[in-house]
Amino acid sequence: MDRIRERLGLPNLPEIYVESNINLLLRRAKENRTVGIEEYVNTGGYSALEKALKRMTPEDILVLVEESTLRGRGGAGFPTGRKWRFILMNPKPRYLICNADESEPGTFKDRIIIERDPHLLIEGMIITGYTIGAEEGYIYIRGEYPAGYKILEYAINEAREHGFLGKNILGTDFSFDIKVYRGAGAYICGEETALIESLEGKRGHPRLKPPYPPQWGLYGRPTIVNNVETLSNIPIIITYGRYFMNIGPVGFFGPKLFPISGKVERPGVYESTMDITLRELIEMAGGIKGGRKFKAVFSGALGVYGEKDLDIPMDYSPKGFGGTGTTIVLDETDCIIDSLLVIANFFHHESCGKCTPCRVGTYEQLNILKKFKNGTATKKDLDYLKHIAKNIPIGSICGLGYSAPQAIVDALEKFPEEFEAHLEGKCPAGVCFK
Amino acid sequence: MAYKYLTEDIIKKIDEYRNKFPYKEQAIIPSLHEILEKYRDIPEKSLEELAEYLKVPLSHIEGIVSFYDMFRFKKNARHHIRICRNLPCHLANYQSLLEKIKKLTNADVGKSSADGRWYIELVECIGSCAIAPAFLIDNDLYDGSNLTDEELKKILEKYK
Repeated sequence: MDRIRERLGLPNLPEIYVESNINLLLRRAKENRTVGIEEYVNTGGYSALEKALKRMTPEDILVLVEESTLRGRGGAGFPTGRKWRFILMNPKPRYLICNADESEPGTFKDRIIIERDPHLLIEGMIITGYTIGAEEGYIYIRGEYPAGYKILEYAINEAREHGFLGKNILGTDFSFDIKVYRGAGAYICGEETALIESLEGKRGHPRLKPPYPPQWGLYGRPTIVNNVETLSNIPIIITYGRYFMNIGPVGFFGPKLFPISGKVERPGVYESTMDITLRELIEMAGGIKGGRKFKAVFSGALGVYGEKDLDIPMDYSPKGFGGTGTTIVLDETDCIIDSLLVIANFFHHESCGKCTPCRVGTYEQLNILKKFKNGTATKKDLDYLKHIAKNIPIGSICGLGYSAPQAIVDALEKFPEEFEAHLEGKCPAGVCFK
Repeated sequence: MAYKYLTEDIIKKIDEYRNKFPYKEQAIIPSLHEILEKYRDIPEKSLEELAEYLKVPLSHIEGIVSFYDMFRFKKNARHHIRICRNLPCHLANYQSLLEKIKKLTNADVGKSSADGRWYIELVECIGSCAIAPAFLIDNDLYDGSNLTDEELKKILEKYK
């Protein structure tokens, strides 16, 4: 059994399937155990930090990250280098926050890094802190990951004892420390300004933007908020230097994690370059469960993909899959309306209530889909649904409102026949009207 | 003032959080986690004590408790079962798991069992979609796929 988890009093965390065809982010994370600092250092860990602090200036690192085309892995896909460049215009003190509030339906990639290879994240944070001129970092981890919280606290202590965190790291004049803060169950706190509000000890309501966090963030200071996977890429970029640009397709270099769940043979976390297509990814996970026919993929709560989209690449191009890489696979026995209802229920529950179009719109959405499910929907309801789906994003200030009707909009476009069939009182998969 | 709910070890933890973060408001959520850990739910009186101890308005703390899903008022159950109802667990038929658990515990969603042992709640994604339908008992995560009735019984027996 795992020594570290035993010491922390954590029960055996359930086994899940983890596979990689490039062995970068998941290099040490394939087995179900936590990698301690000795093993991490022995397998080349913290050498990127040494290289960064002793042989590179912050500007060198920033240029390298810009050239690496690294994009935010939390879903928005914003170029990381550009975000960092933005904060350098603003005065110190600056802060770094790691967004570990992974609450998107079907997403469980960050927890693998946190629970199995926490030092990769910590090393990435220290290098990022050095680059953007921050001396204090926070990790905001969601409340539903109690094990991850304990493991991070433990790993940070280890790093401190070994002189990788604290004052004058590795004998340089750079100092940096990390604090972990637990959320308490709110999807909205994954939105960066809501996360900052929550971290300041308030209700997690998003702020009006601009000003963006690199201008006005934590305690009103310039702040960078990056996802766990984004920050874990940093040590890899430093280690590989310009060779990083040999990994994956042009413009979308580097590894990406794909959490796959639903009706596949081996649900789990898969690592690949971004030139893989959706079809290949599903095959990597063993194909559709029980040899059934493919129906659709839900990318978390953010999009729906049908049979025609199976050959899109999993990158951040306008036609690509993008987002968090979350893949929830539906087969022919699952109903689109039924699944949309689950997503609509989720958004209704998680809307923070600050913007009325989102608070009321998500409720209306839910009610109409309920009508579709129990067979009382009319053509008028369908029109109203389209109307609401158009207007929620216009009237909301944050990403939750922007994406709340996205799955419905996609489904209306790609599966209009499902809606029509339900209007006629038929459910193609035989799930509804019970 | 003598505190009923803020015991010595909780106060020690609260002081730790106050020293860890620059603002006293930042100690509220971690302190509520400590209270939750100890009492399994948030006793209403404990909020008044926390407000008194941290010198923040009670309304601010109540606002936080009502906003975050994990904080609940006293429901008088010793163990808390959280079953995920989001899409991957929905596709894996969490409903049948819920029915089994209901039968074994005599509790219902949002209602505790008569003996005060169980409380069941349906929650949004808990980030364990590869082992759907996933569920948490207190702080422990369980794999609900391919779970036989016998295994489920054994898991539940661990929580007295």
